[in-house]
Amino acid sequence: MHSAAAERTDTIDPSLADAVIDLVLRGMWRGTQESVHRPLVDAGLAMVKGPMVLPTESAKQAAAQMLRVPAGSGQEAQITAVYEAFLPVNRKIREVCTAWQCRPDGSVNDHGDSVYDAEVREQLEDVHEAIQPVLRRLERLLADSGRYLTGLEEALDRFDDGDRQWLASPLCDSYHTVWMRLHQELLLVLGISRAEDEAREEQLVRGSHG
Amino acid sequence: MNITDHRPGVDAPPQAPGLALVPYGQGRTRGLDADALGTHGVAMDRLVALGLTVVPGLTVPAGTAASLGEPGTAGAAVELVEQLSGRRVGDSARPLLLRLSASAPTDIAGLPPDLACLGVTPDSAGDLCTVIGRADALDEVWTATVRMIAEYGLDVPAALLDDALLDNPAPHARVGALLSLVARHAGRPFPDDPAEQLALAARAVLARWDSPRARRARKAQKLPADLDIALHVQALRIGPADRSGYGTAVSRHPESGRFSPQGSFFRGVRRSAPPPHTGEPLEKLAGGTVLLEHALLTLERHLHAPVSVDFEVRDGEVSLLAASAQSRPPLRASVCLAVDLVRDGALAKDAAVRRIGPAQVQELLHPQLKLTGDEELLARGLPASPGAATGTVALSGERALELAAEGAHAVLVMHETTPADVPGMLAATAVLTGSGGIASHAAVVARGAGKPAVCGVEGLRVDKAAGTVRIGERVLREGDAVSLDGRTGAVYAGALSVSVAGPPPELSTLLEWADDSRRLGVRVNADTAAEVTTAVALGAEGVGLCRTEHQFLGDRLPLIRSVILAADPAARDEALLALEHAQHEDFTALLTAVGDRPVTVRLLDAPLHEFLPAPGEAGDAAAEQRAASLREANPMLGLRGVRLALLHERLYPAQAEALFSAWVEVAATGVRPRLEVMIPLVSLPEELRAAAAFVRDAAETVAARTGVRVPYRLGTMIETPRAALLAAELAEHAEFFSFGTNDLTQLTYGFSRDDVERQVLASYQERGFLTASPFARLDPHGVGALIALAVERARSVRPDIKLGVCGEHGGDPDSIAFCDDVGLDYVSCSAHRVPVARMAAAHSALRKSESRSASNENGTPA
Repeated sequence: MHSAAAERTDTIDPSLADAVIDLVLRGMWRGTQESVHRPLVDAGLAMVKGPMVLPTESAKQAAAQMLRVPAGSGQEAQITAVYEAFLPVNRKIREVCTAWQCRPDGSVNDHGDSVYDAEVREQLEDVHEAIQPVLRRLERLLADSGRYLTGLEEALDRFDDGDRQWLASPLCDSYHTVWMRLHQELLLVLGISRAEDEAREEQLVRGSHG
Repeated sequence: MNITDHRPGVDAPPQAPGLALVPYGQGRTRGLDADALGTHGVAMDRLVALGLTVVPGLTVPAGTAASLGEPGTAGAAVELVEQLSGRRVGDSARPLLLRLSASAPTDIAGLPPDLACLGVTPDSAGDLCTVIGRADALDEVWTATVRMIAEYGLDVPAALLDDALLDNPAPHARVGALLSLVARHAGRPFPDDPAEQLALAARAVLARWDSPRARRARKAQKLPADLDIALHVQALRIGPADRSGYGTAVSRHPESGRFSPQGSFFRGVRRSAPPPHTGEPLEKLAGGTVLLEHALLTLERHLHAPVSVDFEVRDGEVSLLAASAQSRPPLRASVCLAVDLVRDGALAKDAAVRRIGPAQVQELLHPQLKLTGDEELLARGLPASPGAATGTVALSGERALELAAEGAHAVLVMHETTPADVPGMLAATAVLTGSGGIASHAAVVARGAGKPAVCGVEGLRVDKAAGTVRIGERVLREGDAVSLDGRTGAVYAGALSVSVAGPPPELSTLLEWADDSRRLGVRVNADTAAEVTTAVALGAEGVGLCRTEHQFLGDRLPLIRSVILAADPAARDEALLALEHAQHEDFTALLTAVGDRPVTVRLLDAPLHEFLPAPGEAGDAAAEQRAASLREANPMLGLRGVRLALLHERLYPAQAEALFSAWVEVAATGVRPRLEVMIPLVSLPEELRAAAAFVRDAAETVAARTGVRVPYRLGTMIETPRAALLAAELAEHAEFFSFGTNDLTQLTYGFSRDDVERQVLASYQERGFLTASPFARLDPHGVGALIALAVERARSVRPDIKLGVCGEHGGDPDSIAFCDDVGLDYVSCSAHRVPVARMAAAHSALRKSESRSASNENGTPA
């Protein structure tokens, strides 16, 4: 099965590469034109489920291969350092999204308390301040990664315009959605599994607090 | 607009350093209020006044806060805090540091962060850590303090500071890196002198308050751009970690609402965001929780609200750092506190009832799994997204999508979720994961999509190849049923039913007090004995509407069908007899459940088409033809209610006889339900008179057969505008009216509910034509005017006529207030709204008595 997948990726049409990577990082496309996803479906890289287009297993493996930087390279070491600076902030953004959705007692945040919401917005600002130097450093190491800061800033602007879903909704390119994509790319670039990622984050969060 | 530029000169005349320093507890005696002291200064004053122990400290009032940036004032502040705490900065045996914070006149977001450890020097840091007993005790707070002073007090570029921190991931190396950056870029080294550090820190805090970020936060909260803040200098007494630390506590348990201090306690130097998983339960406090309980109880009695405190523990003694009423306490805590305050004599019952609104009653009655005790608890995970759900196991997002496409409820079960699983999560009814916490990807997405979720179920193992999941000891297959409660984290095997929870005990108490305050009766719309039993437990005083339609549907449909389509009278009578028998059983069960309470039984009101067979299914050609001739263009306005009964003259007598003879049977067991027989869809007084004759004859028939004269009242529904307008004439034949506000709304507006809800109402609400759906909130101007007019006309003929409402409006607080205002006797609503209606009726009555006493005070006649 592994070799079959490897064979497949060898034969991926280079013109589909960007689209495959985009689909895998996003996890899905919604409401795309037939002409956009048809070539991927025909190549066995995507499947259509109702209004959604999902990547197939071979698409995921192909994307992972294309994105992976050489193991043991200097680039890998440098990106790993950025990834390790990313992880504690990654914990914080999840906490901010949680605080936006739920009050500390676990009840749903009905957005009736403007002070509480403003407090969460302040925490989001802390996250945004903390991620900027990390992304600036990443931009020097990983082609095209500048789009994440642009995406985060766009989401933040929309959120500040009063459109609440732009913080944590899975249905738009919200701050959280863009963030998850960045996270996914870092994992594929460094070849790190989700389980390993969780363990490292936990270790770093505890470690950085002494 | 720089605060530091003009404040001292304008607001405070030149004065000796130190005059602007107000020790905690002395603000009020100096005539200062929240504008000057900030919320923190006021809170500390209050704690001192209540005799509670607070951490030593002082306030530099808003308006003069910039003076703390001057070395003279900063020096005086250091001396004063040293005096108040009996320690000295730099003393290595009983060390003291300073903590600088800010507060505004009200609670706001966006204040500058606290600067948590002033007075540390590279030389003294080691000794401090030795006293605390942890080598890394200062790393994080010291780094954060130096970072902010460097950026905002010494103008070191933020990008350089960021890079220094990225280049030095090790916590221990960070302060050194920042200090050498300061030495290079600020033109002078970071000072060692505590007063100089404090002055710089004050300037940094005020500059941060003046930053674009802080201005944006003020704007977002609609606060004045030039709002002044007070500064506070607190003693930070350093002690060994085994007996010192800090923590937060709230007075009440968030789930039960009982007085039971909850919180956590951290060892070492106070941080604004304590590291995760390092908190310890309050019971671990070296000196015990007695002092803390005393403080929380004192504060609750003083503030009449659930409270929260921040506290410091030093050598086993608790002193308070901050205290306030919880801004939004858990609902159950508020309800419990209200009941506790009444029991302590600190609050009147009315006042307690007023504190909890009908919407909050509804919130406390959230849906949950109906537990019988027989269910199999598979596991308990983290309650990650509220709500209860039941569905079939799907082990992949794709399977969840397929199930959803078939219209089935899927519970997506995965060890963990990734962005690729979002489509499946959106399609699923609920989400269950083995890893991750409250802030995990699965939890964030589930809450974002409003799906119940339980995360972090230990021992959950998915075997995708085998299509199974092991949860604890049990193995489930894809397709098995599972139920979960995202509010408790419980996961059960099988499909459990989801229902509304009964009120918790303290809410029941409050609702009993609400019952004492209200005038309006509350009944339930219930068709079966089970519904009646549920509603009585929720406080319903009787049944305001029992619909008898269901007695004719389901497996009894052929019977009613043969009544309507019968070719000859004999066949019809046979079918009627069978119907009567079936209804008799229904009524017996219902009346037994009702007991001695009133019960309004509405005779058949279904539109004819519900009883007609589909074309081609009538049986024979003759029946087919009869059915075709009965089909209507608009059944809701056609042969329905009393009209059908007048055409099929045996229908109502058969129903009434079944009802009366059931009453005779139930009365023999010792209970006497107060029967009210209701005729639906009347618009002509003549219709009512004819239908009433059917009912009277039925009563005679039953009396002749059983020897018992059944007591009952006869009344009608008011569902058409004409009925409302002719209320006086109808009242001559009716002992009660029940306003069927759903139909009355449809017919007053000329709205067909299903159609306008789909196409019209949303757009009308967007345009501002309507503020709410008239089907959810009774329209007081049109429909309400008809009701008011009918009430007046009916009472002019029959002053003791009983009046109620039995539409969905009977459960809506605003509509209930309207019904109270026009003087109806009761509202009737679905069972789960009964507690809400009880509270809404009480609030309406209390509002009225309040405005009455207000107008009496003004000398106006009531």
